[in-house]
Amino acid sequence: MSAIIETQGLTKIYGNVVALDDFSHTFEPSRIHALMGKNGSGKSTLVKMLSGVTQPTRGNMMLDGREVSFKSPHDAFEANIVTVHQELSLVPDLSVTENIFLGRLPRTRTLGINRINWGQARRQTEELFARMGLDIDPKATISRLSVGQQQTVEIAKAMSFNPTLLLLDEPTSALATKEVEMLFGLLRNLKDQGVTMMYISHRMSELAEIADTVTVLRDGQHVGSIEMGASSLDNVVDMMFGDVARATRPARNTAIPKENPILQVKGLTRAPVFQDISFELRRGEVLGLAGMLGAGRTEVLRAIFGADPYDEGEIIMDGQRVDTPAPGSMVDLGLGYTPENRKEVGLVQDHSIHANLSMASLSKLAPHGFITKAVEAPGVAKQIEQLQIKVDSPALPVSSLSGGNQQKVVIGNWLNIDPKIMFFDEPSRGVDVHAKQQIFQIIWEQAATGLSSIFVSTELEEMLEVCDRILVMKEGRLLGEIDPSRTTLTELYTACMEGL
Amino acid sequence: MALSLFRRYPMEIILVCMYTYLMFSAPGFATLDNQMNVLRNITMQGIIAFGMTMVIVSGEIDLSVGSGVAFSGCVTAWIARALTDTLGPWPAITLGAIAAMVILFLVGVLTGKVRQHFNMPTFITTLGLLTVLSGAANLITDGFPITSFPFQFNFLGAGILFGIPFPVYIFAAVFGFVYFLMNYTSFGRALYAVGGNLEAARLSGIDVWKTKTLALGITGVLTAMAGVLIASQILSGSASAARGWELDVISAVIIGGTSLFGGKGTVRGTLIGVLFLGIIVNGMTLLNVSEYWQLVVRGGLIIGAVLLNHALDRSAKKH
Repeated sequence: MSAIIETQGLTKIYGNVVALDDFSHTFEPSRIHALMGKNGSGKSTLVKMLSGVTQPTRGNMMLDGREVSFKSPHDAFEANIVTVHQELSLVPDLSVTENIFLGRLPRTRTLGINRINWGQARRQTEELFARMGLDIDPKATISRLSVGQQQTVEIAKAMSFNPTLLLLDEPTSALATKEVEMLFGLLRNLKDQGVTMMYISHRMSELAEIADTVTVLRDGQHVGSIEMGASSLDNVVDMMFGDVARATRPARNTAIPKENPILQVKGLTRAPVFQDISFELRRGEVLGLAGMLGAGRTEVLRAIFGADPYDEGEIIMDGQRVDTPAPGSMVDLGLGYTPENRKEVGLVQDHSIHANLSMASLSKLAPHGFITKAVEAPGVAKQIEQLQIKVDSPALPVSSLSGGNQQKVVIGNWLNIDPKIMFFDEPSRGVDVHAKQQIFQIIWEQAATGLSSIFVSTELEEMLEVCDRILVMKEGRLLGEIDPSRTTLTELYTACMEGL
Repeated sequence: MALSLFRRYPMEIILVCMYTYLMFSAPGFATLDNQMNVLRNITMQGIIAFGMTMVIVSGEIDLSVGSGVAFSGCVTAWIARALTDTLGPWPAITLGAIAAMVILFLVGVLTGKVRQHFNMPTFITTLGLLTVLSGAANLITDGFPITSFPFQFNFLGAGILFGIPFPVYIFAAVFGFVYFLMNYTSFGRALYAVGGNLEAARLSGIDVWKTKTLALGITGVLTAMAGVLIASQILSGSASAARGWELDVISAVIIGGTSLFGGKGTVRGTLIGVLFLGIIVNGMTLLNVSEYWQLVVRGGLIIGAVLLNHALDRSAKKH
């Protein structure tokens, strides 16, 4: 049940963006092939084409020497290509058995009535689990299982289709170390049974452990494919990033005083998400918080802002101890937070640009609770001008703006409270290159006027570009500090992956 | 031009068309007496509907208002009966009315707290309260109306001042009050933000639970006011008053363009919705439409109004 996957000149173009360019490669059977690359390098595009989610602009895919073309995920399925997606697709309130056979439970006729044959379904599940060496109760309800077990069920479900090619899109992103071990055991077991796998992960350290070959993509280009045994991780990182020089940043007034910091965090802990986080934010600096997805960066920021609780630790803002932070009181103290998922929680999409620009400053503008649009208007106009937000009229819904302009509205909403500290969580996500530069410019300009900020981005080159100082987090712990002017991208990447 | 006007004021234009039609075809519709009659009939549900607009905009709902009206009328009558001998009729009635408002305010606050701390949908809590308050009203009255009011009390709900039914003044005052709250206070802005995106509002430092709870509390007070007015109109506290009003009130809010998902809606729209329902019921009665058909038409109206609003929304997004 193994297959050779071959691609010839596979290309995908979205509009005028080439997501994958002329990709030709042969994936050998019964092996685990890792796909590596930064965000936007084209690896997801490749997986989407193999699983029939999108169709190539040109080029061919061959399965066991036979040309295939998938019009839909269903077609890929018919060809025995099964995908395990990053997000779990299980129904939490149904049993393990029912989830595995969702939509295709075995049936039997009794007294002329077509009914579900639960006994057979359970037996098939048990056989499947036995074959995979799993110890999970087929009768258990999914929501009662750990995330690792759920991921395992997801893979078992994929295996119940007897795939010849299994596509795994970041299967470990939600798992703890022990669960990852379990998952890897399972994958090796499947490999021994002859299943070919393609594996996407951002966790570099997993590669050496699980992958047989690594295929690296960069900006839609196939940089190369190497045998894992014949290569080192540094080698792979170099392939991923190429010869990018140190990021360029404008000369910043570096007179940032070390003493009298505006924010001190001591021993902040919420097990198991983050532990013993201690740092200082200096006046007027842009401090970066770097780390891979799931390192706990956002969680730390949200805890300081009071959006989520923490177990223990101390937060001192401008010399004043904050006992129980809550968004309302932190805003009053002058802390602003632009959340990472702008679309979902940063804005009220249906409401006007005007309303979204004055959401956080309501209590400031209306000390006695009374307010008119005219009172809000100066703040709205100021931010539209200062941040160069492109709007026809502030009365239009904010959803009518582009991603970059929406992000500026989020930032403007906060600048209207005259913050002392800003947390920028992924401010460049889903924003075009030009707007990205404008947003960085805004952050620098605000810093020059005395605003202290913490900057988080998954794009490490942005961290090097924007920040004065970078703290590195891994698995909920703060590992140490990096000086961006003396660090290369590869070094920072390795630090986030492997530790300092 | 005509189309864009219709897009902006759909219900208003339909209302005017309907009104014109009834003026010429329904016998007796255009008389001053009948106009006043329509106004008087919509005031009590209207007062509650203005509060309900805030609740629904904040993303919640209150299904208990029908029983709340009956309950507060009964509380007022019961306290009036108990205290008239010691305090005299007017202080006793005033005290009763205040008690009813305080109780329903607290019930609203409690609903909000249960929503906050136990994550219990207000749909469920207030559905339960609908029955609880009805039971409580019957307990107070022992199943019979309490007729403890002096006949002069009738003025509040049925009197005429300067040619206009007295409750219409209260109706107008409540409209003005809620209009002010929703448009000129930070509480009003918070209502929209909370209903439009709870998490975004919370992350902007808005006290989302206080906002929702206050909306529920104010609606409780307005419900009690309507209860006192109806008690005055029928000169008794009756546990069977206002049965089924919750659906009429919510219908008016929805016809007025408020979204049940929260975040969208205006009290001006609700005023149109209230007028719309009042006029169509009155007109159909004058046209001798059977009561059963009236029900069918009113139900169809709600569905039609929502469909229309959705269609206009969609076409607005394309333009």
